[in-house]
Amino acid sequence: MAAHTPPPYKGGGRGVVLTMMEKEILEHGYNFNRRRFLSRLSLGLGSAALGSLLIPDLFKGGGSEDEAFTPGIPHFAPKAKRVIYLFQNGAPSQQELFDYKPKLRELLGKELPPSVRGNQRLTGMTANQSSFPLVGSFVDFKQYGQSGAWVSDLMPYTSKIVDDLCIIRSMYTEAINHDPALTFLQTGSQQGNRPSMGAWLSYGLGNENKNLPNFTVLLSRGIGNGQGVYSKLWSNGFLDSVHQGVQFSKGEDPVLYLRDPEGMDRHERRAMLDNLAKLNEMAYEEFGDPEIMAKVKQYEMAYRMQTAVPEVLDLSKEPDDVVKLYGPDCLVPGTYAANCLLARKLSENGVRFVQLYHQGWDQHGNLPFEIAKQAKDVDQASAALVTDLKQRGLLDETLVIWGGEFGRTSYTQGKLTKDNYGRDHHPRCFTIWMAGGGIKPGIVYGETDELGYNIARNPVHVHDFQATVLHQLGLNHEQLTFKHLGRRYRLTDVSGKVVRDILA
Amino acid sequence: MNRRIIGFAEQVLFALNFFVLFLLLFESKVEVPVWLQSFGRMHPLFLHFPIVFLLLAMGMEFFRFKTANSTNEFYGIFLNNLLLLGALTAGLTVVMGLFLSHEEGYTGTVLQWHKWSGIGIFFVASLIFWGRNQTWYRAPVARAGALVSVLLLIGAGHYGATLTHGENFLFEPITSRSAKEAVPLEQAVVFDHVIKPILEQKCVSCHNPEKLKGELALTDPASILKGGKSGRLFIAGLPDSSLLMKRIHLPPAEKKHMPPLGKTQLTDEEVTLLALWVKGRADFKKKLVDLPPQDSLRRIASVHFVPAEPTEPEYEFAAADEETVQKLTNDYRTILPLAKESPALAVNLYNKATYSPDKLQELDDIRRQIVSLNLSKLPVRDADLRNVAKFENLEKLNLNFTEITGGGLKELTSLEKLESLSLSGTKIRYQDLQPLLGSFKNLETVSLWNTGISDADIGRLRKQFKEVAFISGFRGEDSEPIRLNPPQVKNASTIFTETLQLQLKHPIRGVQIRYTTDGTEPDSLKSPVFTAGTVLDKSTSIRAKAFKDGWFGSSEAVFDFFKSTHKPDSVTVLLPLNRVHQADGPYTFFDRKLGTFNANSPAWANNWAGVRNNDLALLSEFRKPVSVASVALRVMVEPETGIFPPQLVEIWGGSTRENLKLLGTVKPAMPKEKSAPVLKAVECRIKPQPVSFMKIVARPVEKLPDWHPGKGKRALLLVDEVFIN
Repeated sequence: MAAHTPPPYKGGGRGVVLTMMEKEILEHGYNFNRRRFLSRLSLGLGSAALGSLLIPDLFKGGGSEDEAFTPGIPHFAPKAKRVIYLFQNGAPSQQELFDYKPKLRELLGKELPPSVRGNQRLTGMTANQSSFPLVGSFVDFKQYGQSGAWVSDLMPYTSKIVDDLCIIRSMYTEAINHDPALTFLQTGSQQGNRPSMGAWLSYGLGNENKNLPNFTVLLSRGIGNGQGVYSKLWSNGFLDSVHQGVQFSKGEDPVLYLRDPEGMDRHERRAMLDNLAKLNEMAYEEFGDPEIMAKVKQYEMAYRMQTAVPEVLDLSKEPDDVVKLYGPDCLVPGTYAANCLLARKLSENGVRFVQLYHQGWDQHGNLPFEIAKQAKDVDQASAALVTDLKQRGLLDETLVIWGGEFGRTSYTQGKLTKDNYGRDHHPRCFTIWMAGGGIKPGIVYGETDELGYNIARNPVHVHDFQATVLHQLGLNHEQLTFKHLGRRYRLTDVSGKVVRDILA
Repeated sequence: MNRRIIGFAEQVLFALNFFVLFLLLFESKVEVPVWLQSFGRMHPLFLHFPIVFLLLAMGMEFFRFKTANSTNEFYGIFLNNLLLLGALTAGLTVVMGLFLSHEEGYTGTVLQWHKWSGIGIFFVASLIFWGRNQTWYRAPVARAGALVSVLLLIGAGHYGATLTHGENFLFEPITSRSAKEAVPLEQAVVFDHVIKPILEQKCVSCHNPEKLKGELALTDPASILKGGKSGRLFIAGLPDSSLLMKRIHLPPAEKKHMPPLGKTQLTDEEVTLLALWVKGRADFKKKLVDLPPQDSLRRIASVHFVPAEPTEPEYEFAAADEETVQKLTNDYRTILPLAKESPALAVNLYNKATYSPDKLQELDDIRRQIVSLNLSKLPVRDADLRNVAKFENLEKLNLNFTEITGGGLKELTSLEKLESLSLSGTKIRYQDLQPLLGSFKNLETVSLWNTGISDADIGRLRKQFKEVAFISGFRGEDSEPIRLNPPQVKNASTIFTETLQLQLKHPIRGVQIRYTTDGTEPDSLKSPVFTAGTVLDKSTSIRAKAFKDGWFGSSEAVFDFFKSTHKPDSVTVLLPLNRVHQADGPYTFFDRKLGTFNANSPAWANNWAGVRNNDLALLSEFRKPVSVASVALRVMVEPETGIFPPQLVEIWGGSTRENLKLLGTVKPAMPKEKSAPVLKAVECRIKPQPVSFMKIVARPVEKLPDWHPGKGKRALLLVDEVFIN
């Protein structure tokens, strides 16, 4: 068969089964839409590949006049250049950490008034509970700093830096279970398949350091009841694959497959990459699939990462002061403390978005024991990260966020005993804190009611929070869009307001 | 026929003139009967006829004396009749309007202007109609008359529209929006920007100092507070008892309803805003954002204001050439615009190995545009700062962990815009920095952590230069000692065949590891210090602690090392494993991989093989007979979740598969109530003897003890490894 003769059509009407070859040809056609055709024609392959290294999406849709956004350039002068998100996965109980509710102690064992709960949706875990006895924090709270913020005794290090923090006690979300809530916070949608916040920022701001991935992910887990984190949380969704989060693991090879195979040196690697790039360019010429070019870019980035990553990840040169600051665990790979230290090093080296997940905060039962361990895991290193950024003069350009995906109920889940109880999921209010990045330091924003069940003042929706984060990075959340499947998508979907009250 | 109709119409026009004059003269005495009110109300509909007829007619009249037109017979006849029709309809419209004006609610200057311009149209049109064939009526007169008529038409139309649609109806969308945009949300004052505009639109046309209807003016706070003829306008805080709201809420037909019928009425939102304002004690000073965010007034009114955009930094210099920027950008030097349409650039340099001073020199073409420069961790030396000093608009400079000393810093004092200077981790000293600080014009922040400047000296700097924020930081020696973390094992596996060189490690430099092998707790003085030469030759439990000066000793770490001399050549599982505790099947027991606690981790499922309803029975085969003295099973014990050690272990052995003898049994100790979870080896010692086949049987607990929540049920038995020695 001649090369350009279309393959014979098999069957007819709906339900046609395409052979692999036919599928390739069909997709090839889709890939050559008008815009891409024009941009390829005018710019040529080489310059497109070179120029877009700096701003990966520069040429994507650049031709259309209604594009409100140029990828890689902020809308307005940013306050923050980078984000470190300390995600406390599993939903830490606000009642035991930051949201001081003495009334709950007074009302220990009393029934939660139905009027407070209203028509609240409960999880399957407590919906069948015959009673909802209130329970206060087992641990005491004290006021700290100039701001007089209440912090529990479980957070001795965090309590020392409250004047650098903006504690938001009035966050609320729409999802009631971990995965949708986590996905909602990270991608703006409960269903997934959308780009993660880090991918959006990578798309919006471009690389600061072209030798490191723009969006990195670090995982750790405490001993508490854990919930899964999946790579969909750091997905690039419909954005270019270069915006995907890169997971650094704790083993010998923090970035998998980065190391040259035994017996291969840098020059060989370089020659191999050059030849591979030629082959890929040929494939791109033929099929026009943009993913091919994304791959070429990834290979180049990986090549540069081979020297940059070991330098960044080398913790052995950190002075004793830093080890004392973060706690000795910071030199044990895979711990939260080590990830915090790594996050600082990555951020300092220009990584736009460092996403940490610390698992183990899902205290449905055995809360007093587990939360104490969880808090101990994260308290010193979280506070250390803020202090460390500050002493390097980096806190004003780095936004640090600490918090989970939702809150926990003021009533107990399961049996309430003298020294043990649990709390169920509670999307109506939870506490997070932010530091640096042009956020007002030393304030406590928002308030929940006496029972810590509903928000009494200044509610902050997840989309408001996301809009605020984007705003601090110089991005207008309504204009940071990407057209996909015929509509423009944003991180904040169709809502979200910048919380101007907390901006410095 | 035609002539007769026209003649009749001319007579009607004449009569209408007198009728209108009569109505005007006796206006105050005229009472309009109810049935005529409908006739009057046709005014807004009928008025469109005279406008159209007269505009057309006056246009034609204007050009009537042009030769082409004056000789055209049709032009003359048509124009004459059109004028007549126009004047007639104008007259009828005037009569209707006069009737309508007698209804409630039509007063004010606008009405007067409208009335007299309307009447003017009628009389002027009539005069033109009658005078247009006289000898004195020449082109100039015709043109003047036509112009006056058109002006009057525009005037009457405008004032009429103002009556029905309100003041500034036409330009309101333009003027009001720009006015609202001018006030950002943060600066909006409740009275000035929310309440006053309502009053101005709907009330002030009558209640102003000139007209003073009901002796009330609503133009300024003093007059509003004073009230009018009927007394004070409101009682602060009580909208329902306030005159203002009472008048607004009266039924529209009531004479005292405000705004009067016929005037533009208040919208529901405006009524709500006024009521909320009075309820909030009718404050004249408060800003919108001073109200609590949940306040209804704030929430309703905020919609109309746009929050102030953060003020963008403005730069006087022009943007750099894009090509130059592209050319200067490479893998180790990024040059990023500060924002869209901003000429300012931020430059970051990375990678120690590729840095050289000319990397800074090359930036000469964009030296005016650079406002932020990051050189941290690069081998930047004092001499390089001379290049940095050329970046005249630099605001932020990061020199953390560079090789600069005090010497080069002087160069930077010429940077007049410099606000933030990061010197953490450099060798800078107090005597270098102190004399220079006065020469920086704009400096706001200097970070000095981890430099040669002591905290006491930073304190002195803070006192001397109050306008600069000096950032110090954490110093380990000042902090409370903290506990070391426990030592770790470096050996790849804790299971060995013959001997093992013990390898312990600690992530922190200079830590001493002390250990014991006899089950006692190690201490910092007597227990042996770990050195690389320690060799194990039997299963051993190592207890180790880490110690270092200035730190608290670590907690104890326990490492169990297992000797596993004989690995069977094949293993068969004789009785089924639990469906969910298959692990790696028969390979599980001799794969040298140990399980852990925490059922969520993959290591759990991969390494623990489990049985509950039947015995665990393994048949292992050795091709060459081996001498066996001990068999040990490593098990998990987690009483709380019903995971118990086996109640019985039997070891069978022999030279053939068919002929096995019971070589030994063991009944492990059972956990007590509330005992902690533990991982341990259950050992069964036998008389040393050679075996080729060996059957290992472990029986799970058949009845959980009475203290257990699941008493009477079967326990789960989990085994991850078997050691044959």
